[in-house]
Amino acid sequence: MSSPIHLKRGLAGFILALALALAVPVAAQAAPVNLATVSPFVALAGTTVTNTGPSVLNGDLGVAPGTAITGFGLPAVVNGATHENDAVAGQAQSDLTNAYNVAAGQPVAPADDLSGTNLGNRTLTAGAYRYTSGALLTGPLTLDAQGDPNAQFVFLIGAELTTESASSVVLINGASPCNVYWQVGSSATLGTTTAFEGNLMALTSISLDNGASVIGRVLARNGQISLINNVLTRPLCPTETTTTPTPPAGEPPNGTVPPGTPGTTPGTPGTAPGTPGTAPGAPGTTAPVRPTVANGGAGAAPKRGGPAGRTRVKKATHNGSATIRSAPRKACTDGFRATVLGHMIKAVVFSLDGKTMGSRTNSPFAMSVRATPGAHEVSARVTYTDATKAKTMTLPYRACAAAVLQPPQGPSQFTG
Amino acid sequence: MTHRTDDGPNPAGTRRWGSVLASALIVAAIGCAAVAAPAAATRIPASQPRAVLLHAHVARTGPNVHADAIESVAARRPLTRARTVLPVLGSASNRGSGSWLYVRLPGRPNGHKGWISTGRTRLSSTPWRILVKLSTRRVTVYRGGHVRRHFRAVVGKPSTPTPRGAFFIEEALSLSSYEAGGPFALATSARSNVLQEFDGGPGQIGIHGRNNLTGALGTAASHGCIRLGTHAITWLARRVGAGVPLTIIR
Repeated sequence: MSSPIHLKRGLAGFILALALALAVPVAAQAAPVNLATVSPFVALAGTTVTNTGPSVLNGDLGVAPGTAITGFGLPAVVNGATHENDAVAGQAQSDLTNAYNVAAGQPVAPADDLSGTNLGNRTLTAGAYRYTSGALLTGPLTLDAQGDPNAQFVFLIGAELTTESASSVVLINGASPCNVYWQVGSSATLGTTTAFEGNLMALTSISLDNGASVIGRVLARNGQISLINNVLTRPLCPTETTTTPTPPAGEPPNGTVPPGTPGTTPGTPGTAPGTPGTAPGAPGTTAPVRPTVANGGAGAAPKRGGPAGRTRVKKATHNGSATIRSAPRKACTDGFRATVLGHMIKAVVFSLDGKTMGSRTNSPFAMSVRATPGAHEVSARVTYTDATKAKTMTLPYRACAAAVLQPPQGPSQFTG
Repeated sequence: MTHRTDDGPNPAGTRRWGSVLASALIVAAIGCAAVAAPAAATRIPASQPRAVLLHAHVARTGPNVHADAIESVAARRPLTRARTVLPVLGSASNRGSGSWLYVRLPGRPNGHKGWISTGRTRLSSTPWRILVKLSTRRVTVYRGGHVRRHFRAVVGKPSTPTPRGAFFIEEALSLSSYEAGGPFALATSARSNVLQEFDGGPGQIGIHGRNNLTGALGTAASHGCIRLGTHAITWLARRVGAGVPLTIIR
């Protein structure tokens, strides 16, 4: 049995603990920010969008009311639509303004005013946070949703947002880039190799330094967006619908397989429009977020012979088809990847100059070919699961001059 | 509006933390686990933008024509007359002064950089990147951000050390069989900190072979150059050209 003194001490301790608990700053709940028609965009600017190097944009690219989009020929890739001051971009800018103002109007608790502190090396829970002037991110910023997939993070930054080189935004415990909003009162600059997440809405301009990546969106209301060798990936958010490529005539939509048709339609990994998953200089490599591809991706093809995919094949049909492609088509300095696409493919045997390189019996029916000097020929012998007659396809190629450099003669004047 | 995209000097005094960014560049660019810094885990960039000079350019301290001139960069390299190719570290556009590129510059002082106008340049990129680690005397070659080859090397001896820092390949050349360092050489933008000139040259650091030279691979025995075995330098010279980033670390 406790003595009165112990009871008093216990009560005092409880009150103290309660007071301390109440003293811990609790982030104000942030209201959802509706991007509306901005959602399909991964980059939207007011005046210009300029790019240098092999940037990859997985999502739509737009500018309005400006019209200048420069630097997006190869090696840069836009896996999405481009809108140059058209009605779509104009409406998106209008919706961006609304979203920006909604974000700017979020209530912020006094304890969540982070002005004068660095965003780096800290963990924040859901809520709205304010910087009355500029904000700097050095190192990792962790956003913890604490298991709530709808947790909203809104950052209200009065002036510029700058991230140092190699900084990052890390989302944990269910946090989604769809629910992270950065409302920047002037311009934002993401330092070299920064790994950024969330919807970056800047009043003026946004600059991404060499190698910076974004899972989210970069949205500049009045100014420009400049990119250098960046990967921007628009996240697929729960309220959005995936743009599914229209299947060719006669092909079942959305991966459904009619009876008697094995799902062996291969695709080129990571190259379908609107499909995140490509990185500069490395076609087909995986990006941080890879939403499910409804149809056409190599990984989406059911594995032949598997329990779920086992279907009875009518040997009498002649529905097999195949084409052979190479990728990349221009940059052949390091060889290329020969891929056979088609239907009802059972096996593909690849040969180089008549010498067998290997065979593939599962999708993707692809093989890497080294770029060796001179003219060569890759052949692919395709057999089918039905009665389609086997055929051999050829892919002649000549390694481009850069495949093997021939340095010119010069004098040796080095220190040795 | 002016924006800067890498580790250069603050052109207008509007950018904070420039010095921190500059000091972090080497580590960030290398991303090598061997570097004792928090940024060591940084991924290797998959590619490096390059600017091919179609005409001689004046490198300046800032992205405008009124900034101080650093030097004139010739359109062609002195050894092979090949076009000058410079790694691009950033860019800027001024409403009044047009577009500018922040580039590494060849020669002394080691690792210096400057702004050149985008006019009369052609932009390209390279997936290649070379890392030299002096302590282990190894050369690592990256392509697309991934390691492609490791080579053992001869590096500079203590009295004539190989300079450390971020550089690039100026030009690649083949050497005749009677010349030292054949069969190939990659002339780098690095210069010896000890030898102001050598063999009629400007003390230029090269990555070259070992023809007519002594020194075992894996030792520190050169005058500052990085010597590779014949197979290694042949492999490298057939793939790596001008403008490829070269980073030399301890």
